[in-house]
Amino acid sequence: MYSMKLRKEKYDDFVAALGKQNLYAPQKKGETLVFAPVEAGSSIPEFLNTTVPPKNIVYPQTETLYCFQAGDTEMSLPEGDEEKVVFGIRPCDARAMALVDDLFSWDDDDPYYLEKRAKTTLVGLACNAPDNNCFCTSVGGGPASTEGLDVLLTDLGETFFLQVLTEKGEKLCQSLGELLEKAAEDDLKAVEKLHEEAEQKISRKIDTEGIPDKLMGLWDSELWAEISEPCLGCGICTYLCPTCYCFDIQDEVEGYDGRRCRMWDSCMFGEYTLHASGHNPRPTNRERTRNRVNHKYSYYVEKFGKIACVGCGRCINLCPVNIDILNILTKVKEAL
Amino acid sequence: MVDLEKLRTVAKETVSRDDVKYLIGWRQGTYGFRVSPHFMKEPEEAEKLIFSPLCSNNLATYLTSVEKLPVPRGEEPDTRKVALMVKGCDSRAVVQQIVEQGIKREDVIIIGCPCDGIVDLNKVKEKFPNVLELVQARWNNGNVVFQLPEGEKEVPREEVLADKCLTCRYPNPVEADVMLWEEVKTRGSDEYADIKEMEVKDVQEKKSYWQDKFSTCIRCYSCRNVCPMCYCEDCILDRLNPNWIFRSVNATENMAFHLTRAFHLAGRCIECGECERVCPVDIPLMKLNRKLYKETREIFDYEPGLDLESKPLLASYRPDDQEDFIL
Repeated sequence: MYSMKLRKEKYDDFVAALGKQNLYAPQKKGETLVFAPVEAGSSIPEFLNTTVPPKNIVYPQTETLYCFQAGDTEMSLPEGDEEKVVFGIRPCDARAMALVDDLFSWDDDDPYYLEKRAKTTLVGLACNAPDNNCFCTSVGGGPASTEGLDVLLTDLGETFFLQVLTEKGEKLCQSLGELLEKAAEDDLKAVEKLHEEAEQKISRKIDTEGIPDKLMGLWDSELWAEISEPCLGCGICTYLCPTCYCFDIQDEVEGYDGRRCRMWDSCMFGEYTLHASGHNPRPTNRERTRNRVNHKYSYYVEKFGKIACVGCGRCINLCPVNIDILNILTKVKEAL
Repeated sequence: MVDLEKLRTVAKETVSRDDVKYLIGWRQGTYGFRVSPHFMKEPEEAEKLIFSPLCSNNLATYLTSVEKLPVPRGEEPDTRKVALMVKGCDSRAVVQQIVEQGIKREDVIIIGCPCDGIVDLNKVKEKFPNVLELVQARWNNGNVVFQLPEGEKEVPREEVLADKCLTCRYPNPVEADVMLWEEVKTRGSDEYADIKEMEVKDVQEKKSYWQDKFSTCIRCYSCRNVCPMCYCEDCILDRLNPNWIFRSVNATENMAFHLTRAFHLAGRCIECGECERVCPVDIPLMKLNRKLYKETREIFDYEPGLDLESKPLLASYRPDDQEDFIL
């Protein structure tokens, strides 16, 4: 690991240097901040975090697995992926990718996901001023966490301080050549101070100790009915969650041309796990909400030893009816 | 004037009745300016209920969205009434649901809350960023007074109210079993300026405008789910066979989804604006719905959700209906 600096006024040159590699960064699309390919001449975005997490870069919302022709047994695979650089991913979203890696390389390797991950370099940006509902420090992360990242940037005002974390990150920095400067000792001190201060600024916290072990004991609790009562059953909390990875596979056929697609699914939808018989083991919002919480805080912990929540706060910020995961966890703790 | 004591007394009396399942109202949320719907079952919960410029949710959506499980053999279905707190716009949703026979009038107790306008949380956040402490708000001569940690702050209504409230023509519930306080005066008038502005654009301009807006759609269906008028038991979006609209998220399918939904709401949308409020990617959905509202109003002189005795637009016919738009 070593450190470098990038002057902000050289951002244009930086974009130009990485232009061939499909550079993604937070961009305003309409009124919404999303990760999108950067075009020459665009400025460094000022942002807390994007509304839509960057998970779709490695795990697209709709992904063609293969194409086929009706009445034919031949099938064709989609074209391979190109190298990508994601600039400005927040540490929570990068941690989310690292967490989901476990799932996609668990029993069988998932070539679609893993190829994209291998070809994506994550240049993270530490949070100097976390948002109101950020709670990364409660679930094992932090505003300057390096997990999953190849390079971590810290905003020093005039410059970005670069910490190179992996071989991929090193390759990227080497390709930038003269654009980067050596960092000074003082810079590192300033960065450490900023990281510390940022951690102090996280105001929402919960001690997750004991939650994963005891959640299953609350299976039949009245709590779930109470929490889920106002739930509308929309996909905001899951689609905007950087760690939610459930998918459905559907065939889409137009004329003779068909494609088998994998698309994001949401455990909050009524047709999720709906059996062909018409039976659904999760018939109401109560069971679905329980599944969402248990999956993140119990099942994933049991399977992979990690809480599948990175504390980005998106589900809290955007739920139309103010269902608040920290409030749920507080109630879970009280009910234990 | 909002009378919380009256609200809580009525709520207590209502949920104490044997023929009432629960009362749906609003309660303080978990942080900042947020408010959450509350399903009140016991009289003791009355203290939780609030009514303020922060109560944006249109609770009428719950009348049709609550999932009913099959009744176990030997048990009777729960036929108790649901009591519902409504603002002006919300009451129109209830009326329209009744007109369409989605619900029965006798199954619902409507508790009317005359309303001086609800804030737009995006506008509030611009003014008061980073407020995590619980905030309450009240009206003062139509303006909004926030009780912030540093003290009270009055903000002119034009600066914080939702756009739909600034042009609202029906601030008072149009139907209620109990009206909680005296009616408020109608401050808004609606000239459909936003729609007229769109109408003068040429087709290509409109197309690229909407393609751009729909390109960010993640198809979370929060607009559909929050909509009190979207209550089809079998929605075409969930159908796999036939697959009317592909699950694929791309320009064509996104546009098909939004236009289909807009057409399904023609003559039915009561302009509560919930779809636009909940959209996580800020698609200006009310521009679509209001265009169709304006059209049906101009062509058929029809406004939904005002009269229990009326018929749904598409189920009514008059010999003098205009037909000059038929090619």
